[in-house]
Amino acid sequence: MEFLESINWAILAPIVIIQLILVAVAIIDLVKIEKANGPKWVWALIVLFINLLGPIIYFIFGRRS
Amino acid sequence: MPVVNIINIKKQFQDQEVIKGMDFQLSERKCIALLGANGAGKTTTLKMLAGLVKPDSGSIVFEGAEKADFRRLIGYLPQFPVFYEWMTGNEFLEYAGQLAGLPKSEAKDRAKELLELTGIAEAKNRRIGKYSGGMKQRLGIAQAIIHRPKLVMLDEPVSALDPFGRREVLELMDKLKKESAILFSTHILNDAEEICDEILFLHNGELVESGTLTGLRTKHQQAKIDLAFKENTLQYAEELSLLQPVSSMKLDGEYASFFVEDIEYARELFLTEIMQRNLPLVKFEISRTRLEDVFMKVVQK
Amino acid sequence: MNQWMTLFKKEMLEMSRNFKWIWVPLTFIMIAVKEPLTLYYMPQIIDSLGGLPEGAVIELPVPSAGEALAASLSQFNTFGVLIIVLITMGTIAGERKSGVAGLILVKPVSYAWFVTAKWASSMILIWISYFLSYFLSWYYVGVLFEFISFMDFLQSFFVNGIWLTLIVTVVILFNTFMKSPGAVGFISIGIIVILSILSSSLPHLLEWSPALLSAYANAFIMGSNLPDELLPSIIVSVIMITLSLLASIAIFKRRELA
Repeated sequence: MEFLESINWAILAPIVIIQLILVAVAIIDLVKIEKANGPKWVWALIVLFINLLGPIIYFIFGRRS
Repeated sequence: MPVVNIINIKKQFQDQEVIKGMDFQLSERKCIALLGANGAGKTTTLKMLAGLVKPDSGSIVFEGAEKADFRRLIGYLPQFPVFYEWMTGNEFLEYAGQLAGLPKSEAKDRAKELLELTGIAEAKNRRIGKYSGGMKQRLGIAQAIIHRPKLVMLDEPVSALDPFGRREVLELMDKLKKESAILFSTHILNDAEEICDEILFLHNGELVESGTLTGLRTKHQQAKIDLAFKENTLQYAEELSLLQPVSSMKLDGEYASFFVEDIEYARELFLTEIMQRNLPLVKFEISRTRLEDVFMKVVQK
Repeated sequence: MNQWMTLFKKEMLEMSRNFKWIWVPLTFIMIAVKEPLTLYYMPQIIDSLGGLPEGAVIELPVPSAGEALAASLSQFNTFGVLIIVLITMGTIAGERKSGVAGLILVKPVSYAWFVTAKWASSMILIWISYFLSYFLSWYYVGVLFEFISFMDFLQSFFVNGIWLTLIVTVVILFNTFMKSPGAVGFISIGIIVILSILSSSLPHLLEWSPALLSAYANAFIMGSNLPDELLPSIIVSVIMITLSLLASIAIFKRRELA
């Protein structure tokens, strides 16, 4: 666990926060939206569990427009 | 005064000739119905008038469009209107109004007015994505007339509506024709009969007949007499049809319908015969030509 | 000009309603900032993954600040470009496909304004996202490695930005004559990839190619000599952007919208 100790969390925090905001916005949108491009629960799994890319994939392909 | 002159327009999609040369003109403050079966070319005709489809040949000339954009003069509602689902009804109307050239404040006022007129005022702040089909149809009409166009074109405005919605939209159109010319397509003859002054019959991409409602009726007047007897209708009818003036006879359930050359002469002849033989008559009717009869007749030509 | 503002405001409102104003800048920031971070922590990452014999000492050359920032820049030209294409491929084609364009363009809307309002709004979203993310990446590089002169950063920002602008414009151009957003995206990506490969494999023949702008942008932050072809390729790019935009308007005017 030396690795985790050696990391300066002040530097990484913004990245983590950005990722959290993206997930939160995607989930809020998914709940509010009338119909997604496919089953909503699948999109929820994608947003929550595909690290980094999940919310982006949802915003590009998941919203019907 | 004509609003628009349509001169020999033709349109081909792939190798199918959809519009085979069509001439007509539309006058101010008239309601004109574009009648025809599915696939007759109604939608294509409207799209060409709206400028969404360009005719292969021929011309469409709007009065007063020599200097200005003809699109100022028209309002158009497609058969299946699609909106920006993320906008509210009110936002969309204001947007459409401003695009049509109204100043912002006027667009606001008109939007408010039309939301009331079309009966969707209580949903004005809801996203269009949540509107029902009928509400979208009303919103579609509202956006088409927001800039008070000279010619409003509506593609099947009532076909998708339930009977109540249909009635309300027809009444709305009746009000509208005081302000502008209305051209609307339909395959429902009753709707056309109800609110229209003039009718254009389209069949296989051709204008097969046109004129005012009364004019068409007179022109295609078919002298028709319906008869019914208490009993033995078939037998009596066949006997009567042997009389000279009858051109054809058909049995329609309880009734026998006679198509005759000269209605006055036939009436006298039939009545005398019936009286003399003392036939048990229960119905004697000289019927009016319905639009449907005209339609069937011109289409079969 | 009133009408242009109406069209433009609608685009801006749409981008906030569908959260583009949130996710596009944030995504750009993630892909840009990720690079200096991983480069900085590379020894620890390799260490934690294990697989090396006990006591082995890893000697990685420490990347320079310029290399770290250049890594961010290259992210813009792969992931960044992909996102730009994906978010703009439907801006006009999608509206035509759905049918809403038919409702809007029977109004007396200027075709030129319709296209340029779309272009301008996409440009603003992308330039702001690009600036924020590249600036943060520059800052991270400064904190983790050493600060690169802000002027050098700005110059590389603008030079690479011209290439991104050309991409936005080309995607808009394809939007005007194709009805399917998917086809627009596919062809745009294809053209960008072909242009990039040709330009990097035949740099002598295509030294004025806009696709080399990102390579030229690197020169600023790496502190190497500026190539003589920089100015000509900027001029070629600006001409191509202008022509594409004019062509978009001309094509869009002639299209049947139904």
